[in-house]
Amino acid sequence: MIKTRNLKKSFDTVKVINNINFELKPGECVAVIGPSGSGKSTFLRLINRLETPTSGEVYYGSQLITDKNIRLIRRKIGMVFQHFNLINNLTVLENLTLAPTSLRLLSDKAAEEKAFSLLRRIGLYNKRDSYPSSLSGGQQQRVAIIRALMLDPEVLLFDEPTSALDPEMIGEVLDLIRDVLKDGMTAIIVTHEINFAKEVASRIVFIDNGRIVEEGTPNKFFTHPESPRVKDFLSKVL
Amino acid sequence: MNNFLQKILELFTTQDYINSFLRGFLLTLEISFFAIIIGLVLGTIIALIQTAKPSPWLVIPKFICKVYVTIIRGTPMALQLFIMFFIIFSIRNFPELVTAFLAFGLNSAAYTSEIIRGGILSVDKGQTEAGLALGLRPFTIFRKIVAPQTIKNSLPSLSNEIITVIKETAIVSMIGMYDLNMAAKDIGSGQNMSSYIVPMVVAALFYLAVIYLISFAIRKLEKRLRKHD
Ligand SMILES: Nc1ncnc2c1ncn2[C@@H]1O[C@H](COP(=O)(O)OP(=O)(O)OP(=O)(O)O)[C@@H](O)[C@H]1O
Ligand SMILES: [Mg+2]
Repeated sequence: MIKTRNLKKSFDTVKVINNINFELKPGECVAVIGPSGSGKSTFLRLINRLETPTSGEVYYGSQLITDKNIRLIRRKIGMVFQHFNLINNLTVLENLTLAPTSLRLLSDKAAEEKAFSLLRRIGLYNKRDSYPSSLSGGQQQRVAIIRALMLDPEVLLFDEPTSALDPEMIGEVLDLIRDVLKDGMTAIIVTHEINFAKEVASRIVFIDNGRIVEEGTPNKFFTHPESPRVKDFLSKVL
Repeated sequence: MNNFLQKILELFTTQDYINSFLRGFLLTLEISFFAIIIGLVLGTIIALIQTAKPSPWLVIPKFICKVYVTIIRGTPMALQLFIMFFIIFSIRNFPELVTAFLAFGLNSAAYTSEIIRGGILSVDKGQTEAGLALGLRPFTIFRKIVAPQTIKNSLPSLSNEIITVIKETAIVSMIGMYDLNMAAKDIGSGQNMSSYIVPMVVAALFYLAVIYLISFAIRKLEKRLRKHD
């Protein structure tokens, strides 16, 4: 569904992504873990071209992603950011309906209906006319997740969706992600929540210094890691 | 003191004086109004060019904007007015009102562009990225996300700039135009008033009233835009 070939990214002279070959199959949920600054966010952002590769390619299905076709492809790739990135000057409802109506995928009425039903699902229907700043972090992130769902994406990218949250709000957000993923949604999730990764992922990818150092099923990855780098990392976080 | 009050009374009861003041006041308002409009429109265009993503065919426009802003901000307004008045628009019969509001408008555009540029740059990058990730067109992102937040961010400084323009127009009296400032001087010096202090204080109150009204209106607007903070 998504494939990267010899993907590289440098900022100035600093190599941040160093030749990543990766494939995501439909229905897979890949958890990306690794130390801070290893390039996990950059890798995710290269996939929907929020960063342009220095060299190498990204494919969506069989289609090579370019500056020209990325806008249409982005509709199919939902993204959830670490800092939620709800639009400050729009209400919760407007945040949800902005994309489907601007892109003329749904009528105003249909978009609103859909937003209402998603808001009811997360129990925030009564916040529909509030501005993001009046919501808690957990509520904002849950709205951001359903905003991504408004376009019926085929893939979801999560970049540390809970690491900007107060501890007591992490649970509600993980519950929603779990719920979204349970019907076989294809996803990549960058996370520091090792236990959550273990639970929802079908595959773990460990990135260090811009390279995939090791990957495998959660069971194998956590119980029999091969690389010393991973062993070291796991001994610190588990 | 008695004399002072008497003069004020005289000022507001003599038709000639009232006419002079109104004539001056009207010119001040006209110059200010058109200058502010030009400043906002041209300033916005300059800011958009300066903050646009670098591209080959924007190299020259970006350079021109930079030079323009540098020159305008680096030279006195009075000098700019003289140059416009005595050199560039010294063509016979060119209306002096137009020269004046062009001079102030072109000056204000440089400052306004800096304010708006700052406003655009202060919009969190995450806001734009959220729009991009949803597949929105750059223009939609600008219209629905960046522009509203820029306006909100820039409003206090824009209010300042508008006030500055109104006050600065007083220097048109230096090239002999009959604005509010000139009216005060004229009334005070000639005719029977024989007092500068009274008409000048009255002129000051006129400026104050206009500026107070404008800042009040903009503060109201600001409050409304701030409802989502
Ligand atoms: N726009 C940028 N300009 C310059 N350097 C950047 C930029 N974005 C990221 N970097 C650098 O690239 C490296 C990798 O960053 P990235 O955010 O991808 O790491 P990460 O694995 O997501 O880290 P974290 O766990 O802290 O989120 C870091 O050293 C970072 O400073
Ligand atoms: Mg990151």
